[in-house]
Amino acid sequence: MINKLAILGLMIIGISCESREEITRQQYVVEGMNLYQTNCANCHQVDGSGLKDLYPPLARTDLWQRVKMSELACIIKHGQKDSIQVNGKPYNAYMPANPKLQALDIAELMTYMREKWSPNKTIFSLDSARYALKNCP
Amino acid sequence: MQQIRIPLSKIVFVFLVVLGCQQEKKLPFLGPKEVGEQGDTLYHKIPDFKFLNQDSLWVSQKDMAGKIYVADFFFTTCPTICPKMKTQLLRIYDKFAEDDRVRILSHTIDPEYDGVRVLKDYAKKLNITSPRWNLVTGKKSDIYRLGKKSYMVTAQEDANEEGGFVHSGAFILVDQNRHVRGIYDGTKEEDVNHLIEDMTLLLKE
Repeated sequence: MINKLAILGLMIIGISCESREEITRQQYVVEGMNLYQTNCANCHQVDGSGLKDLYPPLARTDLWQRVKMSELACIIKHGQKDSIQVNGKPYNAYMPANPKLQALDIAELMTYMREKWSPNKTIFSLDSARYALKNCP
Repeated sequence: MQQIRIPLSKIVFVFLVVLGCQQEKKLPFLGPKEVGEQGDTLYHKIPDFKFLNQDSLWVSQKDMAGKIYVADFFFTTCPTICPKMKTQLLRIYDKFAEDDRVRILSHTIDPEYDGVRVLKDYAKKLNITSPRWNLVTGKKSDIYRLGKKSYMVTAQEDANEEGGFVHSGAFILVDQNRHVRGIYDGTKEEDVNHLIEDMTLLLKE
């Protein structure tokens, strides 16, 4: 009897922990969407399709598998001056930096973009964002 | 009870008048008006201009004669509203792809950086060609004066602004006779829908 209760208790804790992370992830997705529309959609478009050969797409791209997430976080924060390859095509219009975006903003943005366009729809945690930004080239 | 009878011909007449009125919807003439010597109204007109386009060719009011065109002000390194404006202009470019009576005229407000080569590269990446869509550069003071006085939009340098320039995201619709017939917010899709409707209307004039 006690055993059964203990197992049940552990299960409940397990579920609630998991859903707490999921709740955070979903909050990040919602906040990230607002941030995306304010800071990114002008060029990359609301649907992530990019603008012709001028600005690269984010949706349906190899970016999510090919480029490290920490590297993308740094590009968002500090901009991109060099040419970047997306789906085998070079894009060389410079991307402006976003100095106003803090680690939390970038965690939310990355989580939102992952949710929409990456096969890996997991949270990009605040810790990951902090760590990435601290180690930008 | 007395019955009121309206003859059918009267109904048809009223119907035709209403229909006629609707068809006569005309776009306004914008800008300061003057009274001519004969007491007629002289509408605001875009003066003569001459700029270089992305193919190193001169573009002037002569190239716009008999055409309607959409004018805007931008710069290629603009991080804020220009990409939005270009997205919307591309819609217009595609919509009137088969119509030689329509032109787009985009003036750079950063002519020092946006030379012919930069504009050519930009045009190539947007997959657009002249003369349907001219990206033009010239003397900065000429561009700013034309923007402010003739197209009635703000365009100036401002070190405090992101990208170094302040400018409005306006699209200006100019008719076949160099009159301004509409000003729209080029960053808003609904406003540009309105512009496209007005262009269709203007082409019928």
